[in-house]
Amino acid sequence: MLHQTVQSMFGPGAPLVWALLGIVGIILPLLLCVAYLTFWERKVLGWMQVRIGPNRVGPWGLLQPIADGLKLVFKEIIVPAKANSGLYIIGPAMAFATALAAWAVVPFADGYVVADIDAGVLYLLAMTSMGIYGVIISGWASNSKYAFFGAMRSAAQMVSYEIAMGLALICVLMVSASLNISEIVHGQARGYFAAHGAGILSWNWLPLLPMFVVYLISGLAETNRAPFDVVEGESEIVAGHMVEYSGMAYALFFLAEYANMILVATMTSIFFLGGWLSPVGFLPDGFPWLAGKACFVVFLFLWFRATFPRYRYDQIMRLGWKVFVPLCLVWMLVVGVWMMSPANIWK
Amino acid sequence: MEPKTAIFYVLSAILVAASLRVITAKNPVHAVLFLVLGFFSAGGLWLTLQAEFLAIVLVVVYVGAVMVLFLFVVMMLHIDVERLREGFWSNLPVAIGVGLLMVFEMALVLTGRYFGADALPEPAAAAAGYSNTKEIGRVLFSDYVYPFELASVVLLVAIVAAVALTKRPGKDKKEQNVRKQTAVRSDERLRIVAMPSEKE
Amino acid sequence: MTAIAQYVKSLFLKELFQGMAVTLRHMFGHKITVQYPEERTPQSNRFRGLHALRRYPNGEERCIACKLCEAACPALAITIESAERDDGSRRTTRYDIDLLKCIFCGYCEEACPVDAIVLTRIFDYHGEKRSDLYYTKQMLLAVGDKNEAQIARDRQQDAAYR
Repeated sequence: MLHQTVQSMFGPGAPLVWALLGIVGIILPLLLCVAYLTFWERKVLGWMQVRIGPNRVGPWGLLQPIADGLKLVFKEIIVPAKANSGLYIIGPAMAFATALAAWAVVPFADGYVVADIDAGVLYLLAMTSMGIYGVIISGWASNSKYAFFGAMRSAAQMVSYEIAMGLALICVLMVSASLNISEIVHGQARGYFAAHGAGILSWNWLPLLPMFVVYLISGLAETNRAPFDVVEGESEIVAGHMVEYSGMAYALFFLAEYANMILVATMTSIFFLGGWLSPVGFLPDGFPWLAGKACFVVFLFLWFRATFPRYRYDQIMRLGWKVFVPLCLVWMLVVGVWMMSPANIWK
Repeated sequence: MEPKTAIFYVLSAILVAASLRVITAKNPVHAVLFLVLGFFSAGGLWLTLQAEFLAIVLVVVYVGAVMVLFLFVVMMLHIDVERLREGFWSNLPVAIGVGLLMVFEMALVLTGRYFGADALPEPAAAAAGYSNTKEIGRVLFSDYVYPFELASVVLLVAIVAAVALTKRPGKDKKEQNVRKQTAVRSDERLRIVAMPSEKE
Repeated sequence: MTAIAQYVKSLFLKELFQGMAVTLRHMFGHKITVQYPEERTPQSNRFRGLHALRRYPNGEERCIACKLCEAACPALAITIESAERDDGSRRTTRYDIDLLKCIFCGYCEEACPVDAIVLTRIFDYHGEKRSDLYYTKQMLLAVGDKNEAQIARDRQQDAAYR
């Protein structure tokens, strides 16, 4: 119905208006989710540390993220005198823009996607890999030692883990035989287990369990979350690339990090946990399932942060190159042989 | 003007401007960032040619990985721009020669009609459900599998060579064995001894 | 053998899951947060907070301007000036404590022969300017007058140990 209204109002420009509506429809709820994710993170961390967490602003502390946001909006953005001011401003914008751009190809339910493109997975990889520039540019433009260290660390770390992430995805692409993200979800509804009524077992998490773990952990490293947050390790380099930023410029990094977290959680749900598919036959598929799965993965991220101490830098590199990459390569071979063998469960 | 043509001109303008800035920017980091912008616009141009796989791979590989490492190196170098300019005049004749050659080549392409290049048949229109990615994969792993494997072996040799060059054994080489470190147990590090208490 | 056990342990991330079990247990466990303005932790009667000047029950101020506290103060936070009063007794005309200098060591209280300067249990005071935290004799006496009951009770409890 809305479709027809838009069609009649804008005529030939309708597809453009429709796309803009889709973008606004994603970004606004996403920013709200990001705001409340920060609140939820503080609550979960508090509970796990035998504390209560924020509970003063508004009922149950629910207005806390609004208060935080207002505070950051009204603070002054300080540009250091020796900073490269143009790039200094572009840095946070780059980080935030790429974090949002990736959402264009994310299907929220069957058919509910802004851009249903065939190379969706590649687009996603491209956008996440662009996210490094925000960090590097801001680290370099700040003209500060700590910011520069943070930029160096994040460049090396994100490039390394992108490889593990990409290789883990290759296994997913092999079994679903498509680069279209919606197709990947549909592919998880087919197969041996699904044909026998146990849809939850045919989702990629079980047959590709090692890849699921690799993807999840690489996702943590890619978003610079604990225990891989050496980029902003406050005990060593204060806040890394963000050290010189204040006010809204700092907030953009913050929003980008949490938007990326939600993105990685959603992608994990889509690639490995069946996306919007319902785990039980008698309930219909739909967006609530995807939201629930993504919430679970995000909770895992917070749980990891509350549990694990920060990795040492050389151990991060070792984990990426010497553990994950070989593991992915071996599992790729295993999946290839498996698919060619009579025991292929993806038919 | 068709929207597609408009997009082409916008992307081309950005690409040309960015490429010009790559060679004119004083700061090498700016030059690298303009190169990134150039790659990105080139990716956009390829998209308009319906080569979405190549376009996105260009962004993933060059923008996402290669240029990051480039930036990594350039940021750490202290490049003295003045010294680089010393050889400007002596290299100018060669540079002009190369430039003229490139202009000539481009002229050949652009004036293709004069040489009868348009007599070649138009490429067949893509069928419905045609997947660029699938076609490239099919061609790469069937018709061109030998050159493809050859290229990968060349890259492997490069990797091995790089490792061999940097990882030379030496006597003052200090290394940590992370596997050993993570596998350590308390009884390997701490010895609890029983001893009688001393009387004064 | 241990190498294999170690390998299996690290492959299945055993220790990571153990750690996560601990945090999950605490997430649902009892919280120990004290919700400050409504709830307060118990205080010792020896707590060293805001200073006060005391009076005798008849209303006469205790301080005899001996300046022992001024001498004892390691932070030089106390300033005293004295003069003879009409009745011939020696009294302070000025008794100032700069709370921004004070380190709350309690030496002034230890030094005082007449228990005039004391440190109370009050810790939640504030000033919006630096001068707000420069306490004069009148302000210190006012603190003492207001909290005399509590101050006296605390000294009483601690008397046996002094």
